[in-house]
Amino acid sequence: MEEKELIEKAQTGDRRALSDLIKKYEQTVYNFSFKICRNKEKAENTMQETFLSMVKSLGQFSGNSKLSTWLYTVVSNHCLMMARAQKKHEFAPIEDEESLIDEKDVADWSISPGKIAENNELKEILDSAISKLEPEYRIIFLLRDVEGFSTEETGEMVKLSVPAVKSRLHRARAFLRNELNKSLKYGNA
Amino acid sequence: METHKIHCKEVMSHICDNIGEESDSPRCKEIKAHLEKCECCQKYFKSIDSTIKFYKEYNIEINEDMHNRLMDFLDKHECDRQ
Repeated sequence: MEEKELIEKAQTGDRRALSDLIKKYEQTVYNFSFKICRNKEKAENTMQETFLSMVKSLGQFSGNSKLSTWLYTVVSNHCLMMARAQKKHEFAPIEDEESLIDEKDVADWSISPGKIAENNELKEILDSAISKLEPEYRIIFLLRDVEGFSTEETGEMVKLSVPAVKSRLHRARAFLRNELNKSLKYGNA
Repeated sequence: METHKIHCKEVMSHICDNIGEESDSPRCKEIKAHLEKCECCQKYFKSIDSTIKFYKEYNIEINEDMHNRLMDFLDKHECDRQ
């Protein structure tokens, strides 16, 4: 059944349609929540709150935008709200774009993408690096680069202008690359 | 030598700005030409590209217990039984 039809049926109280909608998106929502929170318990909590918002707001959902986009927006906002309660010093200060790039600190990496599922050491390195990045930057990187939304779509979701998204994305990419470079360049892994 | 270093930094900055976005602008052509012959910038490009791929490929699965807890939380468990 198409998403539009599922939403229309769920809006009229069709329980099976609601269950199908939840099943259709629970993996995406949980995975994205984890990618932001890097904590399974917080990710599950975010998933639950996100679907609670969906159930409450389904009646007003017009279908002008995709439900998945709306869910990504809710997850992003929920995670940002949780992160603002955290202490600022838990995150590394983001330097200006100029200082983030050191053309002398370039090396081959000891590992290539792929087979991440079996590599717990790499997962720890990835978790540690992204956890240092301020959530406002982390969410932009995840929406744009990992989930594949356009710069414009990302801006709409987090209510930022295109230049602001681009600036944060630039810094997030360079910051994460620098953090991973410390652990993954040859001789360090 | 100094000019080359400045140029590399510009190229690396351009990579951070534009990776994943194709453009045929004169500046992009210049960057691509530099990338083809500069090993240092190729390594930087590869490290940015790998950074993105690592996070793309690092996924976790939801399990049945989690789905059941979600339906309990929503008080919609009966929906699964329809």
